[in-house]
Amino acid sequence: MEFAPTTLTAAEEELRSEVREFLAEELPPDFRPGLGMAAGHNPGFSRKLAARGWVGMAIPPQYGGHGRTAVDRFIVTEELLAAGAPLGAHFVADRQTGPALLHYGTEEQRQRFLPAISAGECWFSLGMSEPDSGSDLASVRTAATKVDGGWLINGTKIWTSGAHLNHYFAVLCRTSPNEGDRHAGLSQLIVDLSAPGVKISPIPYLDGSHHFNEVLLQDVFVPDDMVLGEVGSGWRQVTSELAYERSGPDRYLSTFNVYREMLRELADQPLDDTQTRTVGYLAARFWTIRQLSLSVARLIDARRAPAMEAAFVKDMGTVFEQESIGLLRAAADRELDPGRGSLFARLLAEAILTGPSFTLRGGTTEVLRSVAAKGLGR
Amino acid sequence: MNDERRMLVDAATSIFEDLCSPETVRAAEQSGWPGPLWSALAEAGFPWVSVPEQHGGSGGSVADACALLRVAGAFAAPVPLAETGLLAGWALSSAGLELPSGPATVGVGNRDDTLGLTGSPGSWRLSGQLHRVPWARESERIVAIAQQHGQAYVVSVKPDDTRIEPGRNLAGEPRDTVRLDGVATSDDAVAPAPDGVSTDALVLRGALARAALMSGALSRVSAITIRYTNERQQFGRPIARFQAVQQHLVKIAEQTEAAIMAVTAAAGNAVRACDFFDVAAAKIVAGEAANIASASSHQAHGAIGMTKEYELGQLSRRLWSWRDEFGRAEDWSRLLGRQVAEAGSDALWPRISTGLFSNA
Ligand SMILES: Cc1cc2nc3c(=O)[nH]c(=O)nc-3n(C[C@H](O)[C@H](O)[C@H](O)COP(=O)(O)OP(=O)(O)OC[C@H]3O[C@@H](n4cnc5c(N)ncnc54)[C@H](O)[C@@H]3O)c2cc1C
Repeated sequence: MEFAPTTLTAAEEELRSEVREFLAEELPPDFRPGLGMAAGHNPGFSRKLAARGWVGMAIPPQYGGHGRTAVDRFIVTEELLAAGAPLGAHFVADRQTGPALLHYGTEEQRQRFLPAISAGECWFSLGMSEPDSGSDLASVRTAATKVDGGWLINGTKIWTSGAHLNHYFAVLCRTSPNEGDRHAGLSQLIVDLSAPGVKISPIPYLDGSHHFNEVLLQDVFVPDDMVLGEVGSGWRQVTSELAYERSGPDRYLSTFNVYREMLRELADQPLDDTQTRTVGYLAARFWTIRQLSLSVARLIDARRAPAMEAAFVKDMGTVFEQESIGLLRAAADRELDPGRGSLFARLLAEAILTGPSFTLRGGTTEVLRSVAAKGLGR
Repeated sequence: MNDERRMLVDAATSIFEDLCSPETVRAAEQSGWPGPLWSALAEAGFPWVSVPEQHGGSGGSVADACALLRVAGAFAAPVPLAETGLLAGWALSSAGLELPSGPATVGVGNRDDTLGLTGSPGSWRLSGQLHRVPWARESERIVAIAQQHGQAYVVSVKPDDTRIEPGRNLAGEPRDTVRLDGVATSDDAVAPAPDGVSTDALVLRGALARAALMSGALSRVSAITIRYTNERQQFGRPIARFQAVQQHLVKIAEQTEAAIMAVTAAAGNAVRACDFFDVAAAKIVAGEAANIASASSHQAHGAIGMTKEYELGQLSRRLWSWRDEFGRAEDWSRLLGRQVAEAGSDALWPRISTGLFSNA
């Protein structure tokens, strides 16, 4: 394990101040903060952010990006999340699909997608899960068959967050039959969500919102140049793609705004003992997990491969998010009124309703720990 | 870790490997004192790391001292390494008083304890009581903060001049009650406490020291639990192959890393003084880690972990003691909560996002 605390350089501190100023100007005074990754889809906001150079930061300038470090991206991301800013439009493309295209995509794909992603104008969803394939992702049955000039893809993807809003999704599918090695024969295809044969149906989310979808693919034609990386290396790509998403600030800041709003609401009254202890305890935990996550970003910049460290942060972070909901609820010390309550009460209600997803999305706690256990020295 | 600190840690590790086996620890719980271990540590100057050389210390930073404590914690070392330099040595040297050549300790007492200073130069006397003083009976000097007319003094007393009622913690480490009934104290053992030297400040440093010890003990708990579960076979395979056991291993390792991170950042930032937020956070996180890791490691070990012989118990009993000493996670959560609430909601994120800020 290589975790080590790290200081921010003067330039990094400067970046942080710039982001804070930007957010103070951009977010209206009556702005209602969102919870982490679910904080709202706002194209205008994403474009403005991109105009400052804060989308596609990890992408090199020759592809319209900014060639910044993982730590720089960490700083921007954590400021956005801490403010509850609406980062939903660009977030998945920026965190996941952009880097995947950069690493595995063809030159033509990089030229085509990366400048648009970096401009905050090209948004992606993730097409991995299926009705019968959740944790056991290698069992996906969506299949593409070779036709002249491309592929015909058929199957059903499920839980696809934002499919109704985004432009594309990267679909994990079978491009050759499963013959023994189940990890072989899988590929990632970039599918245009507005292509003929794509049918997107909302799956009402627990809190009543429209968050995820079922995406039916019926004879959808995908041209050859939309195969992400090499045919047959989908499994390797997807598993490393999962590693990217594991340890960022989106894995522990989902409930931060509930915490801050509680503090704001209690500002003019004396805190009781439970409230005081909750405020202190959460501060300690946020402070520590943030430094673990930041240290992973430093390791990435130092060209290490902190896979274990990233898995640890994701596991600890998401479990902590859920624990924090219980503590904040206990500290609230009243019956929850999600309709008419204060901003704190409404955010807490949202956290309670969406909290169970924190340890599911991006790979469940149980599976994550099984993978991590294999890496523990013996 | 810089090279110098790495060398320090390596040198300390080899001393502990030679002279602080689980058998030594077990024996010390009976006899009270592992003489050869202390002599070797003292010889190397380790107990006085972080005390400036011009005051008779070994130099180095609080971070260096905490790096040593991590090693000591991993070996469950039954010696007042934290108390001698980081605590007593700091108070004495800050006040311009002499450091003893042997082990020293501090008495911060409990909430109801008082220590009063009467008289004047030439006729100082100390009266009061201090509970749960670590290693009092083994120390050459007990250092404490005494009050006279609202002025705080650093005082240094010989245990022989006091009445000591032996006590211990769950790990059998001495935690004694010290009573002082008008103890005559010489002028070279009393000095006005300079700014920043107070019982609260000693408690803060003590909390950091205990968190550092805990982070070391946690690493060792993690290592022996991984080792044991890969050796122990049930149902025809190592129990580490069972998913339920793997979950324990991962949780222990995660909690260990969290404690180390918090302690390392808090120690790294403690250049002029310990930062209250940092140390409170470190003690809270280490205490939480101790709860989770001790429970999980005992569960993963089964009955063998419940024996006095096996090493796990030496570590878990220390974790259960150290998490309480110099303030429990609950106490620090309350204090930190007050500070954070006072600073207000707009200051919350800026403070949480201030991690390690010192490069010293
Ligand atoms: C809010 C939200 C958004 C999502 N967005 C997307 C998206 O955009 N794109 C996408 O592709 N997917 C998305 N997902 C799906 C997510 O990736 C899956 O939920 C996740 O991979 C788990 O799969 P599952 O839900 O089918 O659960 P299952 O795999 O059926 O698991 C159910 C339970 O069984 C346990 N389990 C399963 N296998 C094992 C095992 N080997 N060992 C121990 N326990 C096991 C799991 O840990 C879990 O507790 C989203 C999910 C949520 C909740």
